[in-house]
Amino acid sequence: MADIDDPAATAEEAASHGEVAANPTVAFDEETYLRLNPDVRLAVASGGFRSGRDHYERYGCAEGRPYLMPQGVVRGRVNMNANPDMRREKLKPPAAAVDAVKLSHAGGIYVAGWVNDSTDPLDSLDLYFSNWSVSLDGRNLARQRRPDTEEALATAARHPYGFIAFLFAARRLPGGVCSVVARLKSGAEISFMVTAEMVEDHDMRKLMLSQFARAKYYGNPYFEAVAAIDASIGEQMVDFNKMLSRRAVNDPYVERFGGAGQRCKGSIIVCLYGKVEYMFLQQAMFSKLPGMRDYEFIYVVNSPWISERVLQEAKLCSLIYGLRMTVVILNSNAGFGAANNAAAEHANSDRLLLMNPDVFPKDVAWAQKHTSLIETLPPAQTALFGAPLYYDDGSLMHAGMYFQADTLPGFPGRRKHETSILRVEHYGRGAPPDTAKYLKSRPVPAVTGAFISVERAWFEQLGGFTQDYVFGHYEDADLCLKSIEAGRLPWLHDNRLWHVEGAGSDRRPQHEGGLAVNRWLFTRNWSEMVHNGLLGPEPSYPGFGGEVSR
Amino acid sequence: MKVLIICMYHPELVRGGSQQVAYELFQGLRQVPDVEPVLLASITGMSPTLYKSGARITGFDGRPDEYVFLSQEYDYPWQKSGNVQLAEAFADFLALINPDVVHFHHFMTLGIDYLTLTRTVLPSAKIVFTAHEFLTICVADGHMRRFTDQSLCTSASAVRCNQCRPERPPEHYFMREMWMKRHLEAVDVFTTPSRFMVEPFVNWGLPREKFMQVANGLDPRRTPALAAPARTHRNRFGFFGQLVDAKGVQVILDAVTLLRAEGFTDFSVEINGGNIQFATPECRAGIEAFLAAEAALPPLERNVVLNGGYHPDQLQALMARIDWCLVPSLWWEIFCLVISEAWSFGRPVIASNVGGPAERITNGVDGLLFELGDARALAEIMRRAATEEGLWERLAAEITPPASRAAMAAGFLDVYRAPAGAASAAAAG
Repeated sequence: MADIDDPAATAEEAASHGEVAANPTVAFDEETYLRLNPDVRLAVASGGFRSGRDHYERYGCAEGRPYLMPQGVVRGRVNMNANPDMRREKLKPPAAAVDAVKLSHAGGIYVAGWVNDSTDPLDSLDLYFSNWSVSLDGRNLARQRRPDTEEALATAARHPYGFIAFLFAARRLPGGVCSVVARLKSGAEISFMVTAEMVEDHDMRKLMLSQFARAKYYGNPYFEAVAAIDASIGEQMVDFNKMLSRRAVNDPYVERFGGAGQRCKGSIIVCLYGKVEYMFLQQAMFSKLPGMRDYEFIYVVNSPWISERVLQEAKLCSLIYGLRMTVVILNSNAGFGAANNAAAEHANSDRLLLMNPDVFPKDVAWAQKHTSLIETLPPAQTALFGAPLYYDDGSLMHAGMYFQADTLPGFPGRRKHETSILRVEHYGRGAPPDTAKYLKSRPVPAVTGAFISVERAWFEQLGGFTQDYVFGHYEDADLCLKSIEAGRLPWLHDNRLWHVEGAGSDRRPQHEGGLAVNRWLFTRNWSEMVHNGLLGPEPSYPGFGGEVSR
Repeated sequence: MKVLIICMYHPELVRGGSQQVAYELFQGLRQVPDVEPVLLASITGMSPTLYKSGARITGFDGRPDEYVFLSQEYDYPWQKSGNVQLAEAFADFLALINPDVVHFHHFMTLGIDYLTLTRTVLPSAKIVFTAHEFLTICVADGHMRRFTDQSLCTSASAVRCNQCRPERPPEHYFMREMWMKRHLEAVDVFTTPSRFMVEPFVNWGLPREKFMQVANGLDPRRTPALAAPARTHRNRFGFFGQLVDAKGVQVILDAVTLLRAEGFTDFSVEINGGNIQFATPECRAGIEAFLAAEAALPPLERNVVLNGGYHPDQLQALMARIDWCLVPSLWWEIFCLVISEAWSFGRPVIASNVGGPAERITNGVDGLLFELGDARALAEIMRRAATEEGLWERLAAEITPPASRAAMAAGFLDVYRAPAGAASAAAAG
């Protein structure tokens, strides 16, 4: 059956089409175009396009849409008026749904839903509010598997129907009812009227990251999650998170205990998440060490809801153990980097010891040895250094870190595409406790943030921890790479600590989501440098010289 | 010498072994010239009427030198209070009393960290800690009896404790041990009522040289001498204690079943004790089913009688009705005050062969021991005890009177007065 919805063009018409495309002002007539393309007329009327011309330039030209009235038509013959190789699909609205549109006060825009664009890719997702609109590029959305959609569509196609869109507009946007238009490459589209929900900025972050952590993929989520945010969402999330971190460290509550504020030899900075018991455990365990009176503790609290308990325990610790202590309470979770940077501002020494709450001294001479290290070793070896950490089972947990890269090839649209992710590994993890090769003093590519001793001036020169990472993870390796880049290698010196890893804080879905964002960010920031001599347990980078062994 | 005795609960309010011993010691020390004992007993929400608004430590019922510590915000997993004002009040109290010796009989409801606080406030005071169980080591109620299979535990570890109490990860138990030991470092002398307790503590890492043994003492006025029963058969057995799993009353009931199956029924068992509500549901169901079936029998066919809970004043009458005291405990049974009480009344004891009973009873000389938890072994011993002529008289004649309150006070005074390091010599001896 001849079908005007199945247009094709003769060679002449195709040539004519090319001419107009090159100079469309020559013959384009708005009314003719709309008459010849009634679906476009509808789309323009519904606000999907500014004009027929707008549609033609964005889609119609590529689709070979007719824009001229046919001349010299032979009666009784089917006229092909577009390229016969370009099959024009019927502009049937795609199967799609919008689950939610959410706006946050600071300008976060979140849209979640699904669309069947398995054969006709989603081109844009447009939001039209009464006094603002935004067009989100279909390629920039994070795509995920949606088992519910697969079931509803009764399809076994391996296609990521789900999408999440996120944009940080950095300005307050009025909410209300909006029209969401999902538009495919073909021009087919579907629109929904949705009432946008206003949410708190922290809830927006939590929502995004949790959603991200729970997302399902066809392939390995480790790679797929990173690939999903690479186009745009990763950057948007980082910007949004940085805004929240800046806000969180603004005007903290600070209280000093036990003579804190006097100059000392080192400031131990501990970021507390959720669990208060680590404060009294650390105070109990460190306070018995000879030489501890040369140090102060600074606890920075990322969970303001535990502030009352923290201050109460700080008073108790001051009464029972008598160490100098400062408590810095942030108004919300600033993340590991920003919280430590904020705490460092309250230090009363030239040496910062960045420590996890679940880290405890293994040897009674720990404090004296630390003091001795910074006073006797060459400055280049103590600008930034870590220490061996031990699991509670007695085996080695950490003796420095090195980098590995995991690469997974993919073939989206039959084009080869590699996703490569940097991974941080610990030297000696699980090794017998006295394995000499791990314990000797040596430069290492990185040390864990569970314990970093750093010269304060050097820390400040490096700009402290990079605050781009969400919640935590990778800031330590990032700091070490900044140090290497700036000319000082991280070292490991044998002054042993327990690290009761995994018990330090509550892990929630949003933290898992943050981890994926950080993995993406760390890889993006450092892949080139790491691949340039810092990859593997025996890096060739100048200064390591084979001193590091697996 | 001023001695501050600290215990969990005041025995007037809540009965229990450690507070009873602490109170006996307090009263014993009052009889010693030049010794000024002061008692600080904790109370909890179990005694709500004694809490006074804004108070943390108060006197007690008009009794001189007795104080109560009004425990609040207690964190059981970490064995500490989170209340700042309470800790400050405790520190002020220590400074005010300014004792030469601070003798802890417990830490629960106060806080294990109060040991360190005591050292901070009173740097030169002698700190004595008496262990009445293994609560510092063991999260299974300090009994060192495994929740997994009810076997006796000989060593705690992060993984083994996690097996007993899986609600917390192994790391928690690692940190708990570190935390407990940190505060026990403040202690100058540890005392235990039994010698066997020293080994688990030393194996756990506490220094052997800090341990001394002082047996728990009894006020002799509580246990006046009792004549030997005027009976020819020594076939009456008695159990005294709580009807909870660890006390092992179910082993007696199983032994009774076995004896009956053998056709031996010429004996009686009197169960004295209560608190069955604290037994596990399985244990409780077993005991209650047995007792219900027993009660349904014609009176002459009954072998077991439940008398229920008793007041110490009733002890003499209850002891007079029996020949043998049964102690079938399924845990280490640190000292076993019931043995002291039975001995005071001249009654030989048949007990499980571990812990305090095994240490105190010489099998076949002043009592009889059987394999812990073995109902058949107990049945055989009960049959022998009920039928072997002259056995009861021979064993009863060998009973040595248990330590008196005065002897215990003298023992602790030796601990208080011993110069540093003297505990080492005592432990070696």
